[in-house]
Amino acid sequence: MAGDSREIRTHAKQYFASHRFGPDEQTRICLFLQGVKGINATILAKVEFQPFEWLPYKFLHNQCFKEVELSTLLGKSTVWSTNPFVYLDATNLNLSLWQETDAGSYLQGFLQLDRSFYEYLALSQAFMADIRFLPLLPVDMPLDTPFLQTLKEVEEENGRQMQTQMRLLKDLDVGLEQAEKEQIIEKQHKAVNGLFERLLSEITAMEA
Amino acid sequence: MPVFNDGKQDIYYELYGAAGTPVVSLVNGLSMRTSHWAPYFDLLPKLGCRVLTYDLLGQGQSSKPVLGVSFEEHAVHLAALHEHLGIEKPYVMGISFGGVVVLKYASLFPERIGGLLPVSTFSELDEQLRCHAHNLYKAITRVGFEFYLELLMPLNFTNRFLAGNRALTEVIKRVGVNSNELYGIQNLMESLAHFESMTGELGDIHCPTLIMNAEYDALTPRHLHDLLRRKIENSRLVLVPHMAHAFTLEVPDLTARLIAMFVEQVESGQWRGDQTVWQVDDDFQAEPLLHPCQGNHLRFLPPLAAS
Repeated sequence: MAGDSREIRTHAKQYFASHRFGPDEQTRICLFLQGVKGINATILAKVEFQPFEWLPYKFLHNQCFKEVELSTLLGKSTVWSTNPFVYLDATNLNLSLWQETDAGSYLQGFLQLDRSFYEYLALSQAFMADIRFLPLLPVDMPLDTPFLQTLKEVEEENGRQMQTQMRLLKDLDVGLEQAEKEQIIEKQHKAVNGLFERLLSEITAMEA
Repeated sequence: MPVFNDGKQDIYYELYGAAGTPVVSLVNGLSMRTSHWAPYFDLLPKLGCRVLTYDLLGQGQSSKPVLGVSFEEHAVHLAALHEHLGIEKPYVMGISFGGVVVLKYASLFPERIGGLLPVSTFSELDEQLRCHAHNLYKAITRVGFEFYLELLMPLNFTNRFLAGNRALTEVIKRVGVNSNELYGIQNLMESLAHFESMTGELGDIHCPTLIMNAEYDALTPRHLHDLLRRKIENSRLVLVPHMAHAFTLEVPDLTARLIAMFVEQVESGQWRGDQTVWQVDDDFQAEPLLHPCQGNHLRFLPPLAAS
């Protein structure tokens, strides 16, 4: 992890240790996570066009619905902000989310076992592995509000869902060498971490 | 933050103690971090040793390769870290998963080791350990990381420790969840699922070897350590009474003393690797601390008195 990343996360930990999870924080986090889950759900919806026998089908079938379920749960548990600038920032960040992950490219055509599909798997694995808020909270902070309970549920579910991506990233033969696979995975993690850190920076900048 | 990059991966490490004294490298078990060895950072230097520890790839602050790491790769990374730090003949200790890494290290790098300390570990999976590994893997993948840690608690610690640290165990779990990446630990677990016995390689290990096993280690039981003792000719087996799998966390003072005694024996030329079995005195402060084990060291029950 680069020095800047560590600094942003350290700053976020300090922020969450001394600030309550108010409507502005909740709204920024919720809209970002809903953006991520929206990308996943939209791309995964294409899985339903595949035959039952398609190997990844049975693994990915339920993820689409899980993402929708968690997205609505997040919306329901969030105490929404009344600050319009929070929504402006969130919209800009979600625009970057689509642009910097090139998520739109995975919407084209049918899913097939190729490089593009592998890139998407790596992206969704990075979403589920790298976007974690609970490690940034003090270990003695009670997770007893609807929003924090939902965050915990989202992160636990991400851990379970990620098994599919891990299995497919390791075992799927899409004609890529190991080094190419590693490059793709590294690139996607870098993009996702960059976006997550931007969100953290925007949240912690609120105290200024 | 001390980080070694081998050209591909970052390895986070910590090094304490005076230069010129023998180095003991401590290798983590599953879901451990360098901070788990914190008591040793003071204890071992006071006993005349330098102490190096690091986060295995996939854990703590080291890189977490998504596509996994083999035991052999772990050993190669440890050798590269030693080389980077100019450490030529370290005493290499590993617990549990880390024990397998150090066995592999000793087998692959016989010229680059002063002594070997495999602790609470194995060279092959017996059926009970295979079941435990399967259960832990299922726990992490089907239920979640918290449940995986809950399953490990009674395997790792004694009843006395758990009863006396109920509040602490909740914190340990939360810290464990927060400081580990699930996929990193999952990858380490998967390397166990595909584990191939390395018992056949034990005959290649000739360095002084102190094997340690707790009396009530339900995860890696006695016979797996006895197999190490029988196959490694320059070894001794030490049994630690009253303790469970993770006794290195529960009784660091005793463990540090055992490590330092071993290092001192090897350094002074007094080490005798005669494949004997020893047990620690019930009083961990006792002098002498170690006694030859009487009776059948593979049994829990004492022999029946003659009628």
